[in-house]
Amino acid sequence: MPITERTKRLKARCRWKHTSAGEFVDESIHAGIERARYITESHKQTVGEPNVLRRAKGLANILNKMTILIQEDELIVGDHVERPNFVPLYPEISYFVTLDFIKSPYGPAEKEEAMEICKYWEPYTLQRKGESYFTPEELERAYNFCTIEAPAFVTGFNSVVPPYESVLEDGLLKRIDMIQAKIDEAFAELQKDPWNAPERLSLIDKIDNWRAMIIVNKAVIAWARRHGRLARIIAENFEAEPARKKELMEISDICQRMPAEPAKGLRDGMQSKWFTYLVCHGLERYASGYAQKEDKLLYPYYKVSVDEKSFQPMTREEAQELVECERFKVSEHGSCKDRGHREAFPGSNDLFILTVGGKNRDGSDGCNDMTDVILDAAVSTMTPEPSIVFRWHPKGRMETKARVFECVKAGLGFPSIKHEDVNYAQMLKWGATPEQARDWCLVLCMSPGLCGRRATQKVRTEGGGSHFTGKCFEIALYDGFDASFSNIQQGPHTGNAEEFETFEQLWEAVRKQNEYAISMTIRNKDVTRILEQRYLQIPFVSSIDDGCVEVGKDATEYVEIPNPWHNIILNIIAGDSLVAIKKLIFDEKKYTMKELLTALKANWQGYEDMRQEFWNAPKWGNDDDYADEIITKYYDMLADVYNRVTTYSGASPMPLGESVGHYFGVGAKVGATPNGRLHGEAADDGGCSPYMGCDQKGPTAVLMSVSKINSRRFKGMLLNQRLSADLMRSEKGLDTWLDYMDTWYDLDIDHVQFNVASTKELKAAQAEPEKYPDLIVRIAGFSARFVNLSTFVQDTIIARTEQQFAVNL
Amino acid sequence: MTTCEKCRSFYPIPKDADDYAEGKGDCVCENKDAKGKWWDSKPVMGEMAADNCSCFTKKLAN
Repeated sequence: MPITERTKRLKARCRWKHTSAGEFVDESIHAGIERARYITESHKQTVGEPNVLRRAKGLANILNKMTILIQEDELIVGDHVERPNFVPLYPEISYFVTLDFIKSPYGPAEKEEAMEICKYWEPYTLQRKGESYFTPEELERAYNFCTIEAPAFVTGFNSVVPPYESVLEDGLLKRIDMIQAKIDEAFAELQKDPWNAPERLSLIDKIDNWRAMIIVNKAVIAWARRHGRLARIIAENFEAEPARKKELMEISDICQRMPAEPAKGLRDGMQSKWFTYLVCHGLERYASGYAQKEDKLLYPYYKVSVDEKSFQPMTREEAQELVECERFKVSEHGSCKDRGHREAFPGSNDLFILTVGGKNRDGSDGCNDMTDVILDAAVSTMTPEPSIVFRWHPKGRMETKARVFECVKAGLGFPSIKHEDVNYAQMLKWGATPEQARDWCLVLCMSPGLCGRRATQKVRTEGGGSHFTGKCFEIALYDGFDASFSNIQQGPHTGNAEEFETFEQLWEAVRKQNEYAISMTIRNKDVTRILEQRYLQIPFVSSIDDGCVEVGKDATEYVEIPNPWHNIILNIIAGDSLVAIKKLIFDEKKYTMKELLTALKANWQGYEDMRQEFWNAPKWGNDDDYADEIITKYYDMLADVYNRVTTYSGASPMPLGESVGHYFGVGAKVGATPNGRLHGEAADDGGCSPYMGCDQKGPTAVLMSVSKINSRRFKGMLLNQRLSADLMRSEKGLDTWLDYMDTWYDLDIDHVQFNVASTKELKAAQAEPEKYPDLIVRIAGFSARFVNLSTFVQDTIIARTEQQFAVNL
Repeated sequence: MTTCEKCRSFYPIPKDADDYAEGKGDCVCENKDAKGKWWDSKPVMGEMAADNCSCFTKKLAN
């Protein structure tokens, strides 16, 4: 339970923005019109100006004119929309997404104005510009969202790792001075005699970028200070209660200084970070995520306020209350995502993952008292958002690891755990220095990226997006034709599988389907990247990155350290299927490919005995050498396929195994598969999790299977495990779990995360959802409120094997 | 004609504010829904017509 009366009230009135099957659970959620209105107004007024300045003035117009608000009880203030139950629109990005929202039950009340705005933007949208570089057939394949995710230029889905450190350490006024100095230097350079065009003309674009940065920084300062003024007006004219009056005056002072000035205490740090978050993730452009190494970022201010009590003095409990307030702000933060992504994150608002733990730059343990407060607040609030990832190393302090366990035991589904050394090595691979490589956090749910003052990942077109290998496998059985969902030639012709005489022929067909899919999806992303640089610049994000300021480039363009990756999803239904085929058709010759495909096309109807044989073939997750050898080769094949491609950043993307909710949304678009699965059933969750219920040999066997994947070839590899609730909540739970984690670490496995909820409890929640409002489960990459999930999704959680340990309770 | 500057919700923006403009103010209203209360602030010009504003409440004379 939240630890103060205030945070209990905040939880009771929290305006969750959860979706279920793509629709908002709370019918009062609507799109607001203001962001769309003001960016449109500015766009019309700035015709002919360099686009980066149009973007800057657009953001400034939004910030100057938008309605701001402060809710009762808040300690951290600010929102990205004009009403607390609204989500903003981004008409400049995707025509389809905007139109879908306007026409839905949660469109803006100003429907006519919204339609005019939508129509105005259509030719300027990233979508219409992106589509012009693809054939109609290519667009149809991509929009089916079955072998690959629809292109970013039409979904608008994005992520960013804001350089919060430079805001909290410098303050925006100092950033403005730094950027102005760059402009002054550039002018001096331009004026030098004799004139040298090749050396100096590049300064023109840089000057535009720097000017844009200054425009937005000034606008952000003014917007933040409007909150300070509002807090004072409320205190002086509306609020009767003396304690709250005092709080509002403190908020007023904080907002007057933050983020204009450097943060001095923990209240400053939290508010400065929140304002920065709103601009980077909600106002300048939509971006999913909550990427930051939060304990490291805020610990200096924790020390000042809690330990030394020299500025904004507070007790540890007050610090926890503040973090609880933050959790509720995040829980209310809504987004206007495309329908495909709303379906992928049911029971949650969006993806919000913060990172804690790990090691500091000097190699010492990165856990500190701020880490502990963050974890304690997660347990006390029991909200699915923000999720947390814990960077695990053997010497991490035990009192913090015990708190990680408390979160796991409570059933939050987080922290998810990432291997410190596996991910540190990856940062080095991409060019970080040994010190810099310790400053990493998750960009979204699974992918490590640098955090700090510079070189962070700024756009999802650098790394992110989905490629559904299970669907590629399926169409490889049918010469690239997708008969189970889109009914079109979804991939290249790779031969009629009925005529394959060797397993290697099938393998080659599967490889070619994946090669086509990854080439197409990376091409989609990189085309979007170029368009972002031309039409969707992000001058505020650029202004708080030291590298972008130094070189005068927008963050959509500048890559100081690359971070290219892409998700591989639905892998195990392909892997298990390949195992079953090799065993039953090519090794034992019990069936032919023709017989198999006949049964699959019939959705196994009339072939139940045969289906059972394929279902009972060796499966991943049981430390079975036969299955594991084929499936690890499959993962290696995917890594090889990715190595063929070169991204915008000049490097090959790393595949990252994970699924979010695509394992049921897109999984249902896969026809019957040779692992014994029926058409429409969910696929495997995560990146390497055994298929539902197929891991029968215990938790260590799962780890042994997973350890056979070379974790260093992959950006990440999500492993979902469901642990015995009775054991985890017993007095033996912590020790058992710590032993498990030691084994996991020693096996060099990238990741693991846990569900701790009994089948009995989950089924009870299905029957009487009103009695289980706080029951949270881990989907894959995020946690969700169980009762907000559809029954179809709930059943996939229940079907996951509840791992038992050989421990007497 | 009723104008915003005559409304109790109109608060002139101080001269030292970043967004100061002659005649500009914050229109601050209290709102409530089933979940709770909040206060919002919109920038308005004092001379704007307020005849059709449902929130207009005449400022009391000092």
